[in-house]
Amino acid sequence: MSSASLFIPCIVDLVLPGIGESTAAIVRHLGLTPRYHQAQTCCGLMAFNSGFRDEARRLARHFIEVFEADEVIVSPSGSCVNMVKNRYPELFADEPAWQRRALALAPRVFELSQFIVDHLGVTDLGATRQAAVAYHESCSTLNGLGVSAQPRALLAAVRGTTLVPFKGADVCCGFGGTFSNSFPEISTALVSQKVGFFLESGADLLVMCDPGCLLNIQGYLHRHHPGKQALHLADYLAGALPAGTGRRP
Amino acid sequence: MKVSTARFRQTALAELANARTQKFLQILPLRLSARRQEAYGSFSDPEAAHRLGQAIRGEALARLPELLEQFERNAQANGAKVFWAADSRAANGYIADLARAKGVRYVTKGKSMITEELGLNEHLAGCGISAWETDLGEFIAQLLEKPPFHIVGPAINIPVEQIRDIFLAKGILDQPTTDPVALGKAARRFLRDKFRDLQMGITGVNIAVAETGTVVNVENEGNIRFNKSAPRTLVCVMSLEKVVPTLADALHLLRVLCRSATGQAAGAYISLDSGPRKNGENDGPEEMHIVILDNGRSAIYANRHTREALRCIRCGACLNACPVYGKVGGYPYGWAYSGPMGQVLTPALRGLADAGDLIRACTLCHRCKSICPAGIDHPGLLLHYRYKDVQADPLLAGRGADPKERLAHRLFALAGSRYAYWRLFSRTLRLAGRFFTRGEMLHGLGPLGRGWFQSRDLPALPKKSFHERWPEIAAKHDHRL
Repeated sequence: MSSASLFIPCIVDLVLPGIGESTAAIVRHLGLTPRYHQAQTCCGLMAFNSGFRDEARRLARHFIEVFEADEVIVSPSGSCVNMVKNRYPELFADEPAWQRRALALAPRVFELSQFIVDHLGVTDLGATRQAAVAYHESCSTLNGLGVSAQPRALLAAVRGTTLVPFKGADVCCGFGGTFSNSFPEISTALVSQKVGFFLESGADLLVMCDPGCLLNIQGYLHRHHPGKQALHLADYLAGALPAGTGRRP
Repeated sequence: MKVSTARFRQTALAELANARTQKFLQILPLRLSARRQEAYGSFSDPEAAHRLGQAIRGEALARLPELLEQFERNAQANGAKVFWAADSRAANGYIADLARAKGVRYVTKGKSMITEELGLNEHLAGCGISAWETDLGEFIAQLLEKPPFHIVGPAINIPVEQIRDIFLAKGILDQPTTDPVALGKAARRFLRDKFRDLQMGITGVNIAVAETGTVVNVENEGNIRFNKSAPRTLVCVMSLEKVVPTLADALHLLRVLCRSATGQAAGAYISLDSGPRKNGENDGPEEMHIVILDNGRSAIYANRHTREALRCIRCGACLNACPVYGKVGGYPYGWAYSGPMGQVLTPALRGLADAGDLIRACTLCHRCKSICPAGIDHPGLLLHYRYKDVQADPLLAGRGADPKERLAHRLFALAGSRYAYWRLFSRTLRLAGRFFTRGEMLHGLGPLGRGWFQSRDLPALPKKSFHERWPEIAAKHDHRL
């Protein structure tokens, strides 16, 4: 393995491209060449979650065609990886040929921290950053992929970084994709609760592995607690890499 | 009971603004979750015990028709009468006819979600027969005509002053008091009086055992045991999925049920009834009737997706784990079953016509699935319901997609199907976004995303997407494109 294919979710592509750059920087720091297929678009998660499976299948077929020749595929999004690994097979339940292709692809798709820790066996990136950090357990990352120890290990290995205890770390932030817009009052109650726990924790930063949660939490912080910051794990780590290998967001 | 599932959104808003609801939601679900967690620790291997419970439910469903027949044979051999009710009309009719034939003026009831589903109390009232709930919380909820707030604590959120007032109004209390113990005693006196002259008792069923024809109930107040042992005629109403193969299976399910529901290793009272009083026995009812309710479950059973909803053992652990329930409580779900349990059962039993918001009020966090002792994949089922709703599925009475939403998804899928379209889409989006950008942020998008922007901003769309940045990144680091 000398390269890793970047699966950049549509939210990252269109709204938060810095997370994509950080992901590429980390992959490079690990001695691999990041590759990026310009043909990639969206995995179909939003359509699938909304019940529009024909539309989701259209996007999923495109995804499979773009990525299926790759050896390893890395993405800075637990929910998108969960879609590809765990939902595609069901989405193609009535199309055995596509289901086979989806299942052949699934084991080669990794969430970023999962890729670094489980696949490469690395936890110490040689990074340094002085900060007290709380880690938010994004639901798809935790309950869909079973990923929790990996990002924690990566954060704990950063010199100068302390992981602070975070009450309600595994309680949903209220994003839920279109849920956040369709049920704004419930969603707001949840993100406000999450932010309350973050402020209580005394941490400088709230770090997570999902750009959806990040939009939600950071969007709420910006409106109500300017100066407080949430960050994607990729941005946190890339910003802490030794000079010359990473980029500070 | 009145079904108000269609008003999920409005009720949820009212509950979010209700300080009392919010106070109880800060206590009850968290405490019950913690107790469940602790109680599971008393298993020598909690994960294995959890999975065994799920496997028992799996086997029970796989063999359901055969097990029901076996249960019927054994219950009849024990002397019980078994009535198969196709729907609530048939079940309510059977029970009302029985009450009339026995000349019964009132019946008492153990807390049961199934009779809530039937609307049995209302039906009996229409026939001139009073039905008294005998679980304290359910008794209060009944007097106030409220649906259960929580399956384990139906009236836990009701202020003591409100209980005092309704007890005074209904003649249960003579002197006003807000002392909880005095209120409890007043209810107890009132209900003991009902038990003393009881002719007919009605209970639900937690588990039915095929190999022995036994009906199992678990509770903490002793009222169900009264209902089962005090009257001449006992009626046990069970939904048809309650049957398990063996007594050993039932005992294990009790272990996970009690731990999941209240954090107890076992409820205070566990009653196993196999038929009415036998010759030479002193106690027990003279007649035992078991009503096995279908009410749409055969149709649910026939479909491999919806069948999964029938695994539910009504422990309520999913309510305590659910972030949405934790903010809105039990009322918005609008029927006997609330929380994720209600979100999987209500659409299956009543169809999707009123459930548009119900099946979408979920962030798909998967906590319910991860703690469910019956092995239900709630988020998977909700995704299935959303699909069937969009498809206007006839079995579930799906409503069909909103045309604007469908168009948006079609256009997005088209954009995502080719890079050239995606690039065009990305540029159009950015141009549109620029119109609303103030500084580095978006505080609104006109008619779009109004819900989002109620409480959140968005970063301004970047000048270049990742797609557009990549060639520069690659050139800088000499990557192959």
